[in-house]
Amino acid sequence: MTDISVSSARTGLCDTVDISGHRNNTAISAATETKAGAFNVWGNSFAAEYLPAGESLVHVDGVPFEFPPVCDGPDNVRCAGQFIRVPEGRYDWIHVLAASERRSEETVELTFADGSVDPEPLRVSDFWAAPAWFGEVKAFESLVMHYPHHVQRGVPAVMWAQRVPVTRRAGLTGILLPRNVAVHVFAVTLQRTES
Amino acid sequence: MTVDMTSRTYMITGPEPEWWYRDLISCLQSTFGSLLIREGADPLAVLGAGWQFLHLPGDVRSEEFYYPCAPDESGAADLGAALAPHHQLRSRWWQPADENDVWREVRETLAGNRLVIAAVDNYHLPFRPAYGDVHAAHLVVIYGLDETRGVVYVADAMPPAFRGAVPIEEFLRSWGSANPNDVQDAFFSDARIGRRCLDVRLDAPPAPLTPELLGGYLRTDNEGFTTATSSRTGLTGYDEFAAELLDRCRAGDAGALRELYPFGWGMQAQASLHGELLRRCGRQWDDPALAGAGRAVEAVAHAWTGLRFTGAHGLDDPRAASPDIAHHTTVLRGAYARAVDAVGAVAARL
Repeated sequence: MTDISVSSARTGLCDTVDISGHRNNTAISAATETKAGAFNVWGNSFAAEYLPAGESLVHVDGVPFEFPPVCDGPDNVRCAGQFIRVPEGRYDWIHVLAASERRSEETVELTFADGSVDPEPLRVSDFWAAPAWFGEVKAFESLVMHYPHHVQRGVPAVMWAQRVPVTRRAGLTGILLPRNVAVHVFAVTLQRTES
Repeated sequence: MTVDMTSRTYMITGPEPEWWYRDLISCLQSTFGSLLIREGADPLAVLGAGWQFLHLPGDVRSEEFYYPCAPDESGAADLGAALAPHHQLRSRWWQPADENDVWREVRETLAGNRLVIAAVDNYHLPFRPAYGDVHAAHLVVIYGLDETRGVVYVADAMPPAFRGAVPIEEFLRSWGSANPNDVQDAFFSDARIGRRCLDVRLDAPPAPLTPELLGGYLRTDNEGFTTATSSRTGLTGYDEFAAELLDRCRAGDAGALRELYPFGWGMQAQASLHGELLRRCGRQWDDPALAGAGRAVEAVAHAWTGLRFTGAHGLDDPRAASPDIAHHTTVLRGAYARAVDAVGAVAARL
């Protein structure tokens, strides 16, 4: 488990975002019930024992995230064009905990109070025994992979900390996720612009 | 020369085969990569040198190692030539000629100090995650056979990577499996393994890669992308493939999505290796535009993820999946167009 020391300056600028209403996939399972998770089409899932407690506040590279529920229903948003409303404000970065079924290079659309919309890249590396191809921070790693009928050693499952820039100097009001079922978002945190 | 430990033991000389792996490749590229390393060649320079689009309707098989190979005038398809069109890489499928001595050709190949690539069913291989659970067609490298101790030595770079002994009886079940249809893996089951093996040869050592040599490869491949042919090649071939895929999805044909996953893996793997090679060369030669063209080709590989996995998740209801399939075919087409443009620009001056 990664819990990198908090950069208090950055943490003070960060607001976690409630995405509970959008969760539609269960990617984390207990060793006693591996079938309960199905991150991908083969029913693979992260092993809960290697991950933080459900609904705990975790810090990755100084960024706080609200970790999703663990073994208690859906824990991530499988991207299908959901729109996440955020408190209107000026932000520099959107931080996410995410993982992908193979490498994905996608686009999120950022909606602003003045009516403008900016597409920005969301790049997420593979969860399945893969490197951080897009330079993400490895947030959490399950050292075993859950299969529907067994626990597999030697194949880790990785959750990444990635970030999306907010380049427009305007009030952000929402984030439109891509239409790509391979991309899974576990948590979202906004980093405010320093005044 | 082999180490002839006993008359029934055959092992390649020197170190065990090296693993070669990237997260977007399949067992096809990883096994060829191991063989190329043994030949003293750089797998990325050989397997990443070419970049094409080719779809052969009716040809796709439900195997992890499917790759489209256009037959030559004799009707033979050479997987090695398809994977490495700019190198003298050759391969041919074979099966044991004598049902009463199925190891004969393996012994002969190992005695010649050469590796064997064998098709297997993961269901019967103890080191694969699918062992005893899911049927799936896969490739491994055989580097030794000890009939006295009753083991075959196998290397597999795909996670969880394995290198070591497998009981002959288990290997034989895997190598000779019918690989029956398995609802847990619609993409790589239902394809008889049939004790198939690949004989792979690198007929000439690769020439050192120079900007001039790479420029020639890129110009050839770019012409392939921008010239319409009677086959489904290049950008027009992609358009035909995408249009047919959509038509079949809209008609509720799940077979289209079953084929998309293994077919797309080959195209995705190839784009990822080509992009990585171009990026590496761009860095080595201080050529940012070449590195950028490589990155554009890698974006093609990444766009294949969306299409392949939308198809995989949509298998139960192709009609419902068709709007998202349409979206991802459009995204992928755009990625191809940008990459062909970027590669064409650097190819013109290399």
